[in-house]
Parts: sequence; C-alpha cells; structure tokens
Amino acid sequence: MKATDQKIPRFDVAERVAHWLAALSFLYTALTGLALWSHKLYWLAYVFGGGAVVRGLHPWGGVIFVAALGMMFRRWAKQMRLDAEDREWLRQSHKYAVHDEEGLPDAGRFNAGQKMLFWLQSCSAAVLLVSGVVLWFPETMPRVLRLAAVLIHPLAAIASIGGIIVHIYMGTAAVPEAFRGMIQGWVRPGWAASHHPKWYREVKARSGKH
Amino acid sequence: MTTVAKLIDTTLCIGCKACEVACQEWNDQEFTLGTFDGTYQTMPDLAPNFWNLIKFNEFERDGQLSWLMSKYQCMHCADPGCLRACPAPGAIVQLKNGIVDFVHDNCIGCGYCITGCPFDVPRLSPVSKKVYKCSLCSDRTSVGMTPACIKTCPTSCLTFGARDELLRKAEIRAETLRADGDADAGIYNPEGVGGTNVIYVLREASAPQKYGLPKDPTIPWTLSLWKGPVKWLGSLVLAGGILGTFFHYIRFGPREYKDESDRPENPAV
Amino acid sequence: MTNGWNDIANADVILVMGGNPAENHPVGFRFVMEARLKRKAKMVCVDPRFNRTAAVSDCYVPIRSGTDIAFLGGLIHYALSNGKFQADYVRQHTNASFLVKSAFGFEGGHFSGWDGGAGAYDKSSWQYELDAQGFAKVDPTLENPRTVFQLMKEHYSRYTAEKVSEICGCSVADFHKAAEIICSAATEDRTGTVLYALGWTQHSHSVQLIHAAAMVQLLLGNIGMPGGGVNAQRGHANIQGATDMGQWNMLPGYLRIPRANMATLDAYLRANTPRPLRPDSLNYWGNTPKFMKSLLRAYYGEGQNDFGYGWLPKIAEGADHSWGYFFDEMHEGRIEGLISFGMNPVANGPNTAKMLTALAKLKWMIVVENFETETAAFWNAKTLAEKDYPVAGQPADIETEVFLLPASCFAEKDGAFVNSSRWLQWKEAALDPPGQALRDQEIVARLFLKIRDLYREEGGKASEPLMAMRWDYATPHCPSLVEVARELNGRSLVTGKQLNGFGELQDDGTTLCGNWIYSGSFTEAGNQMARRGQADPTALGLYSEWSWSWPANRRILYNRASADGKGQPWDRTRAPLRWDGTRWSGDTPDYKADAAPEAFGAFIMLPEGVAKFFTPELVEGPFPEHYEPAESPVDNALHPEVSFNPAAKVFTGSSDKLGTRDEYPYVGITYRLTEHFHYWTKHTAREAPSCSRISLSKCRGWPEKNIRNGDQVRVTSARGQVEGFALVTKRLRGLNIGGKTVYQVGLPIHWGFVGRVRGPLINNLTASVYDPNSGTPEYKGFLVNLEKV
Repeated sequence: MKATDQKIPRFDVAERVAHWLAALSFLYTALTGLALWSHKLYWLAYVFGGGAVVRGLHPWGGVIFVAALGMMFRRWAKQMRLDAEDREWLRQSHKYAVHDEEGLPDAGRFNAGQKMLFWLQSCSAAVLLVSGVVLWFPETMPRVLRLAAVLIHPLAAIASIGGIIVHIYMGTAAVPEAFRGMIQGWVRPGWAASHHPKWYREVKARSGKH
Repeated sequence: MTTVAKLIDTTLCIGCKACEVACQEWNDQEFTLGTFDGTYQTMPDLAPNFWNLIKFNEFERDGQLSWLMSKYQCMHCADPGCLRACPAPGAIVQLKNGIVDFVHDNCIGCGYCITGCPFDVPRLSPVSKKVYKCSLCSDRTSVGMTPACIKTCPTSCLTFGARDELLRKAEIRAETLRADGDADAGIYNPEGVGGTNVIYVLREASAPQKYGLPKDPTIPWTLSLWKGPVKWLGSLVLAGGILGTFFHYIRFGPREYKDESDRPENPAV
Repeated sequence: MTNGWNDIANADVILVMGGNPAENHPVGFRFVMEARLKRKAKMVCVDPRFNRTAAVSDCYVPIRSGTDIAFLGGLIHYALSNGKFQADYVRQHTNASFLVKSAFGFEGGHFSGWDGGAGAYDKSSWQYELDAQGFAKVDPTLENPRTVFQLMKEHYSRYTAEKVSEICGCSVADFHKAAEIICSAATEDRTGTVLYALGWTQHSHSVQLIHAAAMVQLLLGNIGMPGGGVNAQRGHANIQGATDMGQWNMLPGYLRIPRANMATLDAYLRANTPRPLRPDSLNYWGNTPKFMKSLLRAYYGEGQNDFGYGWLPKIAEGADHSWGYFFDEMHEGRIEGLISFGMNPVANGPNTAKMLTALAKLKWMIVVENFETETAAFWNAKTLAEKDYPVAGQPADIETEVFLLPASCFAEKDGAFVNSSRWLQWKEAALDPPGQALRDQEIVARLFLKIRDLYREEGGKASEPLMAMRWDYATPHCPSLVEVARELNGRSLVTGKQLNGFGELQDDGTTLCGNWIYSGSFTEAGNQMARRGQADPTALGLYSEWSWSWPANRRILYNRASADGKGQPWDRTRAPLRWDGTRWSGDTPDYKADAAPEAFGAFIMLPEGVAKFFTPELVEGPFPEHYEPAESPVDNALHPEVSFNPAAKVFTGSSDKLGTRDEYPYVGITYRLTEHFHYWTKHTAREAPSCSRISLSKCRGWPEKNIRNGDQVRVTSARGQVEGFALVTKRLRGLNIGGKTVYQVGLPIHWGFVGRVRGPLINNLTASVYDPNSGTPEYKGFLVNLEKV
C-alpha cells in the first residue's frame, strides 16, 4: 500500500453523528435565533417558514443541539482537559494564528484552541439552555428571570456563534482536509503528523504494538 | 394626528365592571370562570381573553377603611416596552394617534412583550399562541367611535379624547381634589415610559401601588442593554468573525502540511 | 321617586341609606357623581356593610341592620334640638302647626289606643282637633304643646346621639359627623336627597322607616325641591309600573279596592273620597269619583248598572291578602290554584320551606316564565337540593299540577317601562319570542278568552263579571300594547277623542280611563311615552319632553313646595316653578296651574293640604318609633318590654319559627351584587360571568377565628340552612350594641336549586315576618348561626 493511501481514523461514526447533529441543529438554531434577534435579519424567519414556525421550533432546535453536544461532552470531556502544554500553546496561540508554529508545543488529538472551543460551546450551551427555557415559557416564569434571560440568552449566543464562526473557518478553509476527518472519519498521516503530532505519535505507537 | 388618550378618574369609579362587560362583548371574548380569592375582582389577573380588569384593593388607616377600585389595562405608553422587546416586525405597532396595538397576523407568540411591559399587561394565549391586550378599541377609534369601556362607563369615570386636553382636565380635577382636602391627589402619567396614553387621577398619587399601579415604571434596563450595547456587540462579533476569518484566509491562506507518508523511511502501517 | 334619577345631580347632600346604588343602580349613580363633580355634593352612606357606595362616600356610618328608624329619629332630634331645620318651610308646608287630640300619647313603647287583646290600635285618639266646620285646628306659632311640632319634638327627645349609638352600634362621633352633613341642607340655598331601596323596605317597620325619612326631608325643607325628595330606587325595569297598575288592595292608580261593606258604588265613593281638613286644601283625591267611574267604564263599558261596580270583586272588611297572608292561607290548604306570572315565589319569598309546603297543597299552578324557575320546579326540590329541604315532599307525593308557559323577555316585547323616576318610556320589540314563547298580553288574553268560552259552554258560578268584561281589541287573543296604552290614557265617550290628562275625567260616565295617573301619556297628539326630546329649559335636568312622567308629566312631585307662601322660590338658582302673577311655569306644577300661591296648600293630594309629620293612617303609630326586628340580638333599648313592632303580624304556623339569640347569635342581612340580576343571571352563566359563585360575607373580628376566605361554611336559622364559600372581609364589622359586640353575616341572594349555576336559596333562612302596612317581608336583620363545614 502506498503511504499516501494510508488512512488514520480520526473520528468514529458516533462522534461524527453527534458532531453533525450538533452542527445542523446549531445552524438552524443560530439562524432562527438571529432572525428573532434583529429586525434586519427577520427575513431569515421567512426562509425557515415564518415567524410563528420559527418561534415554535427554535427552542426544539436548541434542545437537539444541547442533546448532541451532551453526547460529544460525554465522549470528549476527559480528552478536553487542558494540560500544561495546552496552556503554553494558548500563551503562544498568536503565533499559531500567523502560521508561525515554531516553539508551539505539539498538539494532541485536540489542540488547545479546539479544547477552548469545546468548553466555550459547553458553557454557552448550558447558559442558552437555562435562559432559553425561561424564554420558552414566558407566562409561567417569574418576571425577574425573564428580564435576566433576555439579556443573557443573546450574550451567550453571541459567544457561541463567534466561536463557531472561527471553528467553521478552521474546519474548512483554514485547515484543508480537516473536514474529511469529520466527514469520512479519517485523515492522512501527514496531516495528522503536521497538525496533531502528539496524537499522531500516539496512534503510531498504538498501531506499532499490533 | 392628535394623540388620543383615556382618562380614568378613580375617584369616580364604583367598580361596577360595566367596562369589563363592554370589553368582553365588543371584543367577542369567550369567558372563563375565575377563582374565588375573597375579593370582588372578576379575575385575579388579566388573561388572554380578559383585557380590562377592575382591581379591588382594601386599605385601613386610623380605623378608616378605604376600598379602592380601579381599572387595569394596557397603558399605551409613549415609549412602549412591549414594542421595544418585540422581535417580529409589525406585530406591535404604535399608531399615529398613540395607540399601541397588536397585529395578531404578525405575532409569533414569543412573549417578549410580556417581559418588556413595565405594567405586566400582555397575556399569551396557550391556544392560539398569540399575545393579547387592550387595543384601546383601535377598530372603533379608527372610525371615530369611543372605546367600548368608555362608551359604557356610567359614572363618567372614563373619558376619551385628545391627550393634551385630557391631561389638562385631569390636572384641573386633581387641583379641585387637593383644594377639597385631598392633599395627595394627583395624576398618574409615568415619565419612565415617556408618559402613558392612559392617564389616571388618583386620590393618593404618591402611592399608586394602592391602586395596583407600579410606582415608577420604566423600560427594564436589561431590555435597554439588550437592545443597545448587546446588539452592537453581537453585530461586531458576527461581522468581525466573518470578515476576520475571510481576510485571515486572504492573508495567510490554508494551513498546508508536508505529507510525511511520502517519505520512504516512514513505512506504511 | 318623588324626584327622579337626573334630579340627583341637583343635590348638595346625598344620604344613601337602605340602598346601595353604586352596586345595584350603577347607571343611575352617574347623577350622584355629577352632583359631586358639579355641586361638590357631600355623600353620606349609612349601611351595615361597607359597600361600593360606601367606598365612594364622604362619610360612612355602619349601623346594625334593622335600626334605621333609630338613626333617622336621631337626625330628627339633632335637627330640632340644634335648630338645624328650615323653620319657614315647616310652618308653611307641613302639618307641624296642627293640633292633635289630647288623648293622644306614647308610653312604654305603645301609642295611645293599644288593644293588647286584638293586637291592634284603636286610632281614634290619633286625630286632629277639629273646629265646627270639620277643619283641623292649627297654631301657626307652633308653641301649643298639642301641636304636631311640639309632640314630635317630645317624641324624638329620647333619640339622643348616645341612644342612637347604643341602638345602631355606630359611634357618637360618626353620628354627629353624618348629622352635620345631612342637616347642612336645612338652609334655603341647599338641598339634600335621600336614596333608598330594599334595605329600607324589607323590614317589619319599613313604611314607618320611609316616613321617618320623609320627616327628615320635610324638616330640612327638601321635599319638592330640585335635588331633594325621598327617592326609592326600583329593582326592576318596570317595578314602578307594576305598582301603579294595582296590587291586592289597590286598583290601578292607587284607588283602594272595594271591601265587602261597600256594596254600592256610592258607598265605595263615600268611604274612599277624602274631605279636606283645611279650608285651603285643594284635596285632589276629592276627584276619586271621576277616577273610579272612568276606570269602571274601561272595565265594563257603557250602559252598565252602577257602572258595573257590582261585578268588582270585594274583599272582606279588614281582611289582608298580601303576600304573607295568602301564602299562609295556601300553606293551610285553603287556596286551590296559583298563577305565578313573572314571579318566582319559591326563590324570592321568605322561608323557602314554607313556600314549598304551601305550593304542594295547590291543585294546580301556572308558571309563566322565561326559564324553569325554582317555583316551576318546586315539586323537585327534594331531588335537586335534598340537604337544604329535608322536609320537602317526595316528587311522587306532590299532586300539584304545574303548567310552565314560556314567556318572552323584555327585548321581545314593546310597551312602556315605568322607571324609578316615574317615566313611562316606550320601547319597541327587538325580536320575536323564540319557540312557543308568547308575549305577555297574548298569554293573558288567551287565558281570558278560553276561560270565558268554557263558562259560556259549561256555565259556572258567578260568571257575570267575566261576560261583562269589555274586550273590544282588534285582535282579541293578542291586544296590541298601543291599544292598551290608549285605553290606560283614556278617552271621551262623547267625542271618542283621547284625553289630554286626568283633568278632563268626568264623574258622569262620559269618560273611560284605565289608569288615571297615566292619563296624558297617549293623547290625540300621539304616544307621549315615545317622545325623545332633549330640551331642558329650566337647566335642572327635568327633560320634560323626554318620554312622559306620571302624573301629568310632572318631573318633581310636590314642586309647589319649592316656593314659599307667596310663590317666591326658596332658592332662586334652583326653581322648578315660577309664578309670574297669573300662571306657574317650568315643571308641570303640582298645583292648580293658574291658582295664586296663597290659594291652596302645596300638597294638593293630601286632605290637610300640607305634608304630614303626623300620619294617623299608618298601622303602628302616627310617628315612626324604633322597634327591633322580629329576631334581634338585643332588646329594644328604648322600651325593652315592647321590643318588636306590636302591630306587625307574625305567623305561627307549623313552618314558622323564630330563633333565639342564644342559638342564633349573629345578624343576617340579604343583599345583591352588581354582577347579578336577582335570580336570573344564574340561568345564563356565560352572559353574566363575574362572581358566578356563592359567597357569604363574614365580618372581621369574628369569634371563630379559623374561618378563612374560601372556606365552606354553613349558615343556619330557625327556618333552614345554606352552605357556601366564606368571604372574610373588613367591610363588615362587629358593632358595639350597648356593650355587647354584635356580628353580622351578609348573604348575597342570587342562587337557587335550578339554573346553570346553582347554589343555596338564601330565603331558606329568612322569616315570614311582614311589615303591617305594606306586607313586605323582613329580609334584613334576622338571626343566624354560622359554622365551618
């Protein structure tokens, strides 16, 4: 077998299903959320079937997103813990942004940026869920909670969407072939060695034991 | 167009509830029985199909009992919190004559107006999933008729007309009451919401809570923050994110890698 | 009402007592508010309950139910002892100066002439001293101790503020505050009105109570004045009309019904046509022959012997067939049938158990109603509300045959409503009656025609009056109400023309008139009741061109009394009448239109020619005296040995029980809610949504502390029980009655055992005790007990 044909498994089916469930529900929830957030974006509501439909389904979209995120959380929470190298990586992340990776600690299966995204999404999802439930049933919720929620919900959403914009960029244009890892589930060894050297070494070590 | 208003002179209210009945009749509302709460109030609170409620409040001071009755409904604020909060364009409209009206075809039932209202007036119907409140009979006023509640009020407690004129009238009435010994008599037309198109004359103007009215209603600050700075921040993040990543790509391009597997010393797995 | 709804706006002082207009007459209450806005009128509310009227009053005085005469007596004493009465008015327009026979007196709770054995008064001592011509002797200085004025002063000297407080339970300070406001109307430039309703009429001394109010108003010079008068607020749209058209003892127009000892028309007229008691008395009832003969013409047409008087039913001398008596007769099994037309005796009569027992003794009953009422369903009471009626018979055992005839409601009928202001307002029918329902006149006419046919075909006893009855309507089985209205107005039998008023009535049989007080309502000029003119030339809100008011389109009764002996108005700014030297103008004068001011006394309907403080006609005394209700938590503080009205009839049959204050320590009061209309709204719960629930009000400071809002409670009296939700409120309070705290229970009446919203009939609790003059039951102030279920 040619080396270029080598496929290193990156994400298994369960991970990919969870991720894409989260991605699609996020997309829906974010876009419908944006429709309700600003009159200038209300045209999005028409795209999704009209304001009343959007108001009815947006919370469910959120529920699906949180559920999918929950699946990912169960799977990844341990791997997402930040270690000393991650913190060092974060300190030098500006170098990563300009493709100057000299002196950056080697990334594991997830680099520190990805880990930060994970925690950002997890936290904001929790906040979105709680504040979202308050907004979902306004007639039964105490006014003070509703008043807090109208402020907190968009703030959490802004954080979440901001993170996701970067995430999408990174997962598609910025890091070629990363996308395949999440679609087809495998990456090439070169890609792995380049972007996640530490992980690559672990994979190789594991396979060497066979 | 002249701003219209409703004047409620609580000193003339006898709690007969004719306005409640007229409101129900004109708006063709199905009535649901309330619960017995030991007062004469028809319902403990406003409801999606009950937009006009006479509140009965008892107070005792120096052995003198006072039983205050006053009408509660949408205040038609000059700066309506509901309108500020509403995400659906055209669902809440402020007519040129000052009436704040709900257009139910556009209402999406999110209930943000309930949160935005400093007077806790709009009510979400669990059936139609739309929000309802007093429209100051915009369907009547638009053709030159008086709102149903005002038309039916037997004691002239309710009057309808141009806002400026009613404010003057209210001021004269309050002045008369003060001259007759009610030192605390005054007008309720809260500035925190830019004034309201429903104006009250109260015998105890320094304690509107006694009538079931909030003391100094304002647009909630979280709402203002949300509709102001948070919105700017959001736009910044959204635009910044999209443009930032785009230009990042333009400047730095994709993160290429050398395929190690091409190297012969790196045997296939 | 002596005056009218609109006229309340002319008042400076408004005394609301025995009524709750803000709740029960909210539309009319607009005029109270108008008076307060435009005249800065002060309102005093005297009531056991702090009701919606009290909530908007300037002065609220709580009193114990049934003690109103004590309060009004206190006002009379206050006015007389403080000189706060309008002396010129009293001298000019009342019988204050009349001398009373020396045998008249009052002692130990009885007026002179009490016959304990007969349980009635011999009224021969309650008369004026007459001169040789049969006129009453007078002393215009009012100083003779036998003048009505001095006797009145003496009689009410016992009603001090302290005594009022002891009887009524109000504080002396509250009484004084109220008295000061009320008596501020004693000056010529101020008038006060009195508004009352069933809170006054439903006592065992109700007529005396209203008389006491009239005395207060006469002392203050408020009768005949715009913004004055004594004003009864009627509880139904047409209850005034019902009264005008006759009762058990009255023919239409308040003509007394013949008694068995008046065998001929002549005897009747001799007995019922009063003689003037003063030389200047116009004595308008002297025209009784004209009224009566014209009425008989309406009944029997022309060419009848003695005008057909012989056919009129005659009641045994001294017999009483008022409500309490005839239901008692029924209860004793002496009545065979009943037509209950627009009336629901089981619900609105006192002592429901007695009503049920009485109806079960009938052979047949016809109920004409819009709904199946408690009366129509009385035979089923046991099934529908067994708990409340343990003694009611099983449906299978009740043999009364009940016919329920569907009637039409107000919107389905034309005709006139006579409102509290005595206005006859004509209306058109908006709808046809639904289903088999018929209009009232058709039901009456069909019954009449069918019965007459049966008598014709099968014969029967005393059918002559039936055969002689005039019945020449265009559609005999359904007379149009226009025809009936024209007949009530009357016409000349010579010219065939409609009369212009009762002034044209004749005593020679040439006029026909169904109700003399309505004469003028439907003239040759057309239906005056349908007029809707809004002109108000006097600016007093008389609106003389709006509908038509009896009598003679007069808006303010006794309006001649608004001016002094020379015809000068007491208050120039508020004169309903003006004398220009030849004629009176303004309102229709309650006087001869072209007679000089000095010619006659101002009260032309009275033989005295003046208003009466002293009224020999009433059963229990010429002056109102405070008597306790039949069931009272305390003894009469004025004369404990004669605590209760001695002349009132108390029934003692098997269903009539009175409770003791030990067993039933609390005072019960019935009342009505704005949200309901009598016993109707329970049939239409959707249309009258608010307060579709049963509630009892219980006062603050109640001894049993564990009863809370919404708790199910049982109220019992010697007659029966009711259950409902408790509404615990500060609006009822315990009253200090001579050192004892008396608590009161308010009982809204609107429920019954049939209808869409069912609940207890409050009349399960009330007693068969009646006012001896009017026959009205004592629904206010009876004893109850209350316990948590």
